[in-house]
Amino acid sequence: MKGSNTYFYRESSSLLLRTRWVGPYLLVPPMLAFMVYAEAFLAAHGVAGIATLGQRTVLAVWNGSFLLSLVAGIKSCIYFSRTWGSDWFHNSLALPVSRSSGYWGPFLAVLTVASCVFLLTIGAVVAALPDTSRFPMIQLVAESYVPVMWAVSMGAFLGMLTTGTAGAVLLSALLLLGFIAGLPVVSIPEWLHYIIPPLGRLMTLGMRYPQGLQQVIVLLAHSAVFLMAGRLLYGIAVRRR
Amino acid sequence: MPPYISIGGYSDPPRMPYLSVEVGKGEMVAITGPPGSGKSNLIKSMAGIRGFAKGSIKILGSRAGTLRSRQNTVFVFQNWNFMPDLTIRAQLERKAALLRGVPVRDVRLDLDRWGDDHGLLKGLDSYPRQLNRSQLQMLSLAPLALCRPAVAVLDEPMTNLSSLMVSSALEVILSILEHGAVLVLCHGRSPAAGRADRLVNLA
Repeated sequence: MKGSNTYFYRESSSLLLRTRWVGPYLLVPPMLAFMVYAEAFLAAHGVAGIATLGQRTVLAVWNGSFLLSLVAGIKSCIYFSRTWGSDWFHNSLALPVSRSSGYWGPFLAVLTVASCVFLLTIGAVVAALPDTSRFPMIQLVAESYVPVMWAVSMGAFLGMLTTGTAGAVLLSALLLLGFIAGLPVVSIPEWLHYIIPPLGRLMTLGMRYPQGLQQVIVLLAHSAVFLMAGRLLYGIAVRRR
Repeated sequence: MPPYISIGGYSDPPRMPYLSVEVGKGEMVAITGPPGSGKSNLIKSMAGIRGFAKGSIKILGSRAGTLRSRQNTVFVFQNWNFMPDLTIRAQLERKAALLRGVPVRDVRLDLDRWGDDHGLLKGLDSYPRQLNRSQLQMLSLAPLALCRPAVAVLDEPMTNLSSLMVSSALEVILSILEHGAVLVLCHGRSPAAGRADRLVNLA
């Protein structure tokens, strides 16, 4: 039947394009600009090391990715929790739609919006930087997209597990933990990098020169595990209610 | 001809200990009972979004909850099932298009015509919070008129209607009987119960 698998995707897309949901993404450009200026200021005053042009390019892309992951993650937790917990959503399952599309539809809609904003943000960053031809930009952009995907997947899991606010707090904590654990000044056992999402590690490795395929795979595995765990919880919730 | 709706030995204690009923084509059956007697749980069980302890529910020969059982069936829930953040038009058009298996643009004209006939054309472009309960209740019945399903299961479809809208709503519900079956869950004094072919009282 036509539309039976895209119903929730289209409903979610309509909702997510409303000001209330798109609005938070508008925070990304000023925050990013602030971070770029703060880094330049700190470097000029000797607080941070002087970065080469290449490092600044990579750092700007990673800053964009990190900020977007934070906003997309928080937004996903709130959106998923509200949607899957609402009566209208639950009663919509009485329509001739496949039950699993109730999980994948909203997830894909959130991911689509986050991906579009990611492309716009990173596109703007790259366009503003001089001489990017010396860097493997496609690889860098592809790697910096993985944290956004991780944030939305984690948002789906937490949105299913708990309330929007609690999920947003948990996600922010995990994102920061993953970021801090990967910084060169923080020393943690190697095996912990496989448990804690290697967000910061991916970023610091990328700072030297775009690399970190192993971290990308670990982060993708993290995303897949939490996404499937969310799907499992969704299945249980749909049957039990 | 097999019944369009068949509920056999349905049990969902403590509210509804036992229920068996069959509804055939061209028939309207009303299940009546006081608030808290398990009517809303029954419609959710029929839609497959709530489990139940015992018994079986079949719609158009398929087990309740399966995609097949939902394909030619319209469920109207007591809380109208409208999303607060989208206009009524956006929601009804998508729902009707989904049930009819056609693109959204193909139902637009029908929806406008239906809205105009019932004095709800302006209401279609409103958000749920901008409408009163009577208007929302009437609009929740629109998929019945737009999709002409074989089976309609309605939970308290008349409770919030203003006296002006009662006859229009009844007309919409009764139009299903030309080709389908209707099961209404309502309180005993509902106008829908008065027009039903059979009454099953849960009290």
